[in-house]
Amino acid sequence: MYLSDLKIGQKAIVLQASISLPVKLYEMGCMPGEEIELNYAAPFSGPMCFLVQGTLISMRKELAQLVPITEPNVKSLTNG
Amino acid sequence: MVDKKALRVALVGRPNTGKSSLFNRLTGLSQKVGNYPGVTMEKRTGLIKLAPGVLAEIIDLPGIYSLHPSSPDEQVVMDSFLNENVDEKIDVVIGLADGTNLKTCLFVFTQIIDLGIPAVLAVTMSDEMERKGMELDVLGLSESLGVPITLVNGRLGHGIKELQDNILTASVSQNIPFFQPGGLHLEWINKVSEDKNFDIPYKSWLFGLRGSEYEELISSTGKTIARARADEAIKRYRRVNEWLREFFVTHPGKDRRWTARLDRWAVNPFWGSIILLILMFLLFQALFFGSEAPMNFIDDQFAQLSNILKSNLPNGFLSHLITNGIIPGIAGVLIFIPQIAILFGLISLLEESGYMSRVVFIMDRFMRPFGLSGKSVVPMVSGTACAIPAIMSTRNMENSREKWLSIAVAPLITCAARLPVYALLISLVIPDQTFFGLSLRGLVLFSLYMIGFFAALLGSAALNKIMPEAQSNPFLLEMPSYRFPQLRNVGHAIINRTKSFVTEAGKIILAISVVLWFFASFGPGKTPDFTQDYEAIPIEDSYVGKMGKAIEPVMKPLGFDWKVSIAVLSSFVAREVFVGTMATLYSVDDNEKSSIREQMAKQKDPETGEPYFNLAVGVSLLLFYAFAMQCMSTYAVVARETRSHKFAAIQFLILGILAYGASFLSYSILA
Repeated sequence: MYLSDLKIGQKAIVLQASISLPVKLYEMGCMPGEEIELNYAAPFSGPMCFLVQGTLISMRKELAQLVPITEPNVKSLTNG
Repeated sequence: MVDKKALRVALVGRPNTGKSSLFNRLTGLSQKVGNYPGVTMEKRTGLIKLAPGVLAEIIDLPGIYSLHPSSPDEQVVMDSFLNENVDEKIDVVIGLADGTNLKTCLFVFTQIIDLGIPAVLAVTMSDEMERKGMELDVLGLSESLGVPITLVNGRLGHGIKELQDNILTASVSQNIPFFQPGGLHLEWINKVSEDKNFDIPYKSWLFGLRGSEYEELISSTGKTIARARADEAIKRYRRVNEWLREFFVTHPGKDRRWTARLDRWAVNPFWGSIILLILMFLLFQALFFGSEAPMNFIDDQFAQLSNILKSNLPNGFLSHLITNGIIPGIAGVLIFIPQIAILFGLISLLEESGYMSRVVFIMDRFMRPFGLSGKSVVPMVSGTACAIPAIMSTRNMENSREKWLSIAVAPLITCAARLPVYALLISLVIPDQTFFGLSLRGLVLFSLYMIGFFAALLGSAALNKIMPEAQSNPFLLEMPSYRFPQLRNVGHAIINRTKSFVTEAGKIILAISVVLWFFASFGPGKTPDFTQDYEAIPIEDSYVGKMGKAIEPVMKPLGFDWKVSIAVLSSFVAREVFVGTMATLYSVDDNEKSSIREQMAKQKDPETGEPYFNLAVGVSLLLFYAFAMQCMSTYAVVARETRSHKFAAIQFLILGILAYGASFLSYSILA
């Protein structure tokens, strides 16, 4: 699973990536072990906006496709 | 003037933490806007009196997410801290932390205090914390950090006095380092410390990880630079999370409620686009029509001033220079103030409220194919009024690649100054007919707008292809919580932008306009008669006239005769000057009192006897004005914003070649 697979409202935990991701991602608070939630996404595969460590961070889909996560939690699945 | 003994106090923190509010509160009207050496970033400073006999220079550093630079902004901040020059060394740091988003703010702050600089922490948005039911154990956190903490409220000015007192007694935290680079790294860190004479290992760590200089040595530890930085981030966040668990209480439900509610509309694929469209339309309206009255007022006042001086000053070269060269030149600078003030007031409102990030979010997908991002929307929309404020608005863009692309193509957008030229030429050569029920003239005008818009986008896409790939700067954008904009900050933004335009680009505009005045008023061996009844020399005898005649052979393939060539040359002052120059040129030939349009329509081609301004010449001229950078103020502002006359000159040349090519092509086909 990757960040880009999340549906709006779903939460998951960020996993350690095997490839090198932009460090700015870590420094903005999006790092392994943290809970992350997809808040909204722009149409036509535009940027996606996630809530992590109390901050809303937008990134392009290409980057979201590289960030590994756990399976989204089931409770939010029914909500989302 | 900066006193040598003034304490150098830097404001540092993440973007959107209320940094400008605090800066404006601390410095008031004493602030100055300058530049960081070698970069186009704005540097705001203000000199204040902290206590009797103690002056402090407050420096507003750009907002950062980390001391490790990923953007030009962060580069500037790191350079300021690693600067060992005694005169430029930062004495005290005021760290900023948004109380409603402490975690990520404290991350940066621990990096800063690890540099071993005396520091204080200002926690902003204390009113919002209260509203959201957040509680912070200020004393506990202060003890752990080893620095004093002040709760401040930039809006109301609470806590400012206490903060000032804390600056006076600030010292290096006793509890640092909060992050200690591990054993593997010690070897290269020691090497950097020796080479650069750094007293603090963390400085060497920062310096070593910033580039290629020590890369080999670092990779011999088996870790990449990115890995090392990621390790630091993880360790620091772990520390910060411990503190927050101990000293911070929050009720998650209450937080972000408003932002989430507003975002439901603002970033909704359908409603969000409509809201954005309406806002951009209003921005255009305000810029286009709101500036009309003040611009006319400035114009009239200076015309009057010029007339008063003309009738009161003794005849002669000097009074001619003042009334016809300098005063119109100054008017030519001040005339832009209404547009600049309106645009920056509105941009500042968008940024302050937090909506600007949503604009970027929504538009990113559409601007990306052209190498631009959502932020380029503002210069593109503003460009339809005037390229000057449009180019200045790129100052708010952090990604320098998009910024340069936007500046490069902004002059192609159809600005208001082109309208009089377009209107004159269209009414001259396009028949007053309808085409599928639509006015043909209207359609041509619309097409010219579209040509400008698409030329800008395609030009940007082409440049993006050619430009060497810079270090990949990932698109990572924080969406700040919505906030009510503070009028104080909007006011400061307007004053600062206007001031810097008048004092910096204004100088160049004034200089060029005096030079152009000279070329238009004097000719080889010709001096206007400065006695009692001033009489100007005929424009064809002036330097501009001679130049126009000289370049006639070059302009011939475009269908331009020497008169049109003169008009094209003289409209470098501003495009609309074309109309006035045409009037001057033709009223010499024809004494009948008829409008410029009629006089131009009467002109015959000496070879064929047909009307000279036919469709081929008209379209050729229209296209020339669509592409050429016929505007000295644009040149001045580009040179100022890019800090490079070379950039402006190359841009002028390339757009000139484009204009020539388009006119040549259309004339060859239509003639």
